[in-house]
Amino acid sequence: MSTQESRKERIDRGIKVRSDGLYALMSWRELSYLTLPRFIMIAGMLSLPFLMPDMYWQRVISIVCIYAILALSFDFLAHYVGLVSLGGAFFIGTGGYIAGILNSYFSIPPFLTVPLAAIIGGIFCTLMLLPCLPLKGVYFAIVTLMYPLFMARVIEAFDIFGGTDGLVGIDSFSSSFAEQYFVIGMVLIFLFGLRRFVTTDRGLIFTAIMDNDQAVKASGIDITRYKALAVFIASAMGCMAGACLTHIYMWSGISQFALDFSILPIAATVIGGAGTLVGPILGCLILVPVSELLRDFGTLRIVFYASILVGFILFKSGGIMEFGQRKYEQFERWTQI
Amino acid sequence: MKRKRLQITFILFIAVLFGLWGSNAFAGKPIILGAPLSTAYLYGWDAERGMKLAVDEINTAGGVNVNGEKRPFTVEVIDTRDLEPGVPVSEALMAVERLILSKKADFILGGPNRSEAALAALSLLSKHKKISIVTSGVLTPAYHKTVAKEYDKFKYAFRIHGEAVNLIGEMIANFADLKEKYGLTKVFIMAQDVSHARGAAKVMGKVAGSKGFEVTGTEIFPTGTTDFSMALLKVKSTGSEIINIWMDMPESAILLKQWYDLKIPALPFGSTLAAAEQPGFWKATNGKGEYTLCNVVNAGNAPSDATEWTMKFYNAYAKKWGVEPEGLGSSSSYMAVYVLKDAIERAGTLNSDKVVTALEQTDIMGVYGRLRFDPKSHQVIVAQDPKDGAVGSILQWQDGKRIVVYPKSIAKGEIQLPPWMK
Amino acid sequence: MEILVYGTINSVSLALMGLGFAMVYGISRVPNFAHGALYIVCGFVTWTLFHKIGLPYFISIILSLCVNGVLGILMYRFVLIRVRGMNISEIIASYAIGLAILEGFRFGGFRGMTYTLPVFMEGSLMIGDVPVDFHRLIMMVIGILLVAGLWVFTHHTRIGLALQGMAQDERAALMLGIDSDFMAMLAMGFGAVLAGVAATLILPLGNIVVESGYHVLIMSIAVCIVGGLGSWTGAFFAAFIIGYAQILTVVFIGSHFQMVVALLAIILTLILKPSGLFGQQKELEERV
Repeated sequence: MSTQESRKERIDRGIKVRSDGLYALMSWRELSYLTLPRFIMIAGMLSLPFLMPDMYWQRVISIVCIYAILALSFDFLAHYVGLVSLGGAFFIGTGGYIAGILNSYFSIPPFLTVPLAAIIGGIFCTLMLLPCLPLKGVYFAIVTLMYPLFMARVIEAFDIFGGTDGLVGIDSFSSSFAEQYFVIGMVLIFLFGLRRFVTTDRGLIFTAIMDNDQAVKASGIDITRYKALAVFIASAMGCMAGACLTHIYMWSGISQFALDFSILPIAATVIGGAGTLVGPILGCLILVPVSELLRDFGTLRIVFYASILVGFILFKSGGIMEFGQRKYEQFERWTQI
Repeated sequence: MKRKRLQITFILFIAVLFGLWGSNAFAGKPIILGAPLSTAYLYGWDAERGMKLAVDEINTAGGVNVNGEKRPFTVEVIDTRDLEPGVPVSEALMAVERLILSKKADFILGGPNRSEAALAALSLLSKHKKISIVTSGVLTPAYHKTVAKEYDKFKYAFRIHGEAVNLIGEMIANFADLKEKYGLTKVFIMAQDVSHARGAAKVMGKVAGSKGFEVTGTEIFPTGTTDFSMALLKVKSTGSEIINIWMDMPESAILLKQWYDLKIPALPFGSTLAAAEQPGFWKATNGKGEYTLCNVVNAGNAPSDATEWTMKFYNAYAKKWGVEPEGLGSSSSYMAVYVLKDAIERAGTLNSDKVVTALEQTDIMGVYGRLRFDPKSHQVIVAQDPKDGAVGSILQWQDGKRIVVYPKSIAKGEIQLPPWMK
Repeated sequence: MEILVYGTINSVSLALMGLGFAMVYGISRVPNFAHGALYIVCGFVTWTLFHKIGLPYFISIILSLCVNGVLGILMYRFVLIRVRGMNISEIIASYAIGLAILEGFRFGGFRGMTYTLPVFMEGSLMIGDVPVDFHRLIMMVIGILLVAGLWVFTHHTRIGLALQGMAQDERAALMLGIDSDFMAMLAMGFGAVLAGVAATLILPLGNIVVESGYHVLIMSIAVCIVGGLGSWTGAFFAAFIIGYAQILTVVFIGSHFQMVVALLAIILTLILKPSGLFGQQKELEERV
């Protein structure tokens, strides 16, 4: 009676090895292996508005993209810079209000308010978050959690910018196609832009800050400045998303600082795949429509997605993307020991 | 064997589906009433119940006569969560849109509940040309004023219950009574920091001042405030005799309980005081809710004999749902369905523009009086006598029961002062 | 005078809310974002036991405190133990559980304003010229006793000392044979029970609604940050600062600004003295 021991082994697929580096140009097969996922992603996102059965679902696509931009910014900050931002709502609210104010008090048209809101909002959020950038650990997370609530209360208490009523009657985008394709385009630009960015020199500095900030400091680089840059990028993205939200709903108010906007990007990132910038987008594509479909069940849907979130965190903390990537690039087999 | 059982079950399932679908097809295509309500909250579920009661009654009686064809109503409710703090108004707007686009609602009834959401929804309604009758919670005067200002854009919006200014008028009338009877002149105003409450507090301050009452103070509380001690002490120290409360947040129960325990010598008189409108309030506060007055906006939400229909509605609601009409939206949601039915029958079609015209000509005797809309602002016309217009109701908790004390034409009792105030 | 009395009462109630969170974080470095949910759980369980099943009030309270403790322990043992050390995941996991519990209650029919608990004693008395109702007085007394008791517990009993040891230096405690996971589990249980005690004392003043869960969570975090994450004496003093700040704001500025004050306190603390009043995590204050 002999016992055999075997273990599971994971190896890269042949085609992955063949398409590494310059060898990818060897043949169409290797090229398509590399470009297929990205192509599906881009083509899929661009064709979404056509696939949707009715106007309501087209609106959902826009909302998905807004959440996706937020989730992208969260993922970027959390996994490429080391700053966990629990308050995506702060960015959305700021961007939303600035766009609302520009539009209703100054009558600036939407295609200008959005970029303006992104930049002004980015500067404002960075300045507000500046005091806690030098701090480590969990403080940034808590401050970002508190800021949306704080801003909501301040606007409510001082009754500015419309107070609890909000600003009504804001212009919407010129057509529903423009509305959707703008946000989808923004998502794709941000996604690929960020992916490129984190491999540049500046991006490397961010990752270094996350890993070992003392070493970076020892190299003579001003950490606070780089963190501020990262926060500016993330908050500009978030504010742009907020401005789009305002124009889609033609309304801006305190509830743009709601907790929902903070939680969903985090959930999407966890489920989709933290660290891979694509994961959050996937997560949003899954979570938001599911949440809409489950609307009939009332608050049970929140219990449902909270439980899924816990499940993912405990058991599959890499998220769907990690799982997918693993399957795509590697395969498993049993080997003898 | 298992496979065969599966096949049979499958066939039966399909058969049942066809049966259900078929039975529907025979009854005439239903008219879909979309209801975007905050169903986890009093003002959401009381509206839902009022509507469903009316729909059941109408369907049992044969349905709505649309140009000769009898069609039933169906209600599609979507939870907007808009009364929940921290939930963006965009949720409510998405719910309204879903009702219009996905569920193919023909009319929107009941909500949204929060004034902010309702105001924001006006643009959506005009975009999709859908008629909406708000019935539960939208008390801001800004609503009908916006409709009147841009009639062509917003003409699809109607409101079938009194709004904040009406409520204030009714309360002032009561204050005048109290002044005459007991000599009470000092009023302290406490309001929640939300659109309608703040606006109402401001208007109340002005009106009370002009009618000879002394406003001893106004305090605005952010939603979620849990401590009212200092304000209550201020009430006592300024010698205030009436506390005018505009709060629908659950923390108002803290206020009322503390009022009782501290024996503050002032009469709590509230509006949209959701906590005190429910029949369960007495038990929930162990009787400490006694003497609290609240304005439930329309008759029918508390027992009275405004019209012959009032107690019929009251008892039907209690029978169907096992609890008496609870909040300020019950009777108005019920009537909205009937008013809509009446308008559709007169218009003979579901076409929005024609039904708008028909609604503007509404003149029926409902649960809370004669119902007519102002043709320009689409606000229901309010009056002191049920024969002239929609009648409000102010109730006071006396001895475990909700006794209607105003208007005089339908009152079942008189206002009583707590023993420590005499 | 009234500022003194009601300021203290407000502060003690904030301290009660914050203690549970402070204890859990201090000992096991796990931020328990389900704190608000545990608070509400105790409230609803007591209500069910008292009103639906008909048990006497005090038995219901004791039973629901036990339920809370067990819930806390289970939560640690099955969920948080797997994500220990990964800050983001801990926060997300505990928040998600809290969210599931709270929304689950809402779905299960616990909505509306008719869920209340009776106060311990009705009526009021006058302190000087200030009327105070009995229940608030009892709350204040029990709160202070509880804090004193905790102090005694952590300084003079074996388990308490073990918990303190873990809070100070986990590695050293491990070397001394104190099982860190077991202690963390106990700490969660304690934190949950403390949340339950806070609920028992504070909820009879008003009614039990799901929104209070979120409110309590925010206030606890506020108290703990101002006091210094990890120090429960800090939390106690911070509660007083925030409590009095709120009452003073109401009296002198306007009740409009109550909520802004608490959040402002956090931001000021983070700008001026990030590790909080008695913060032991000086390394967090390290400015890079």
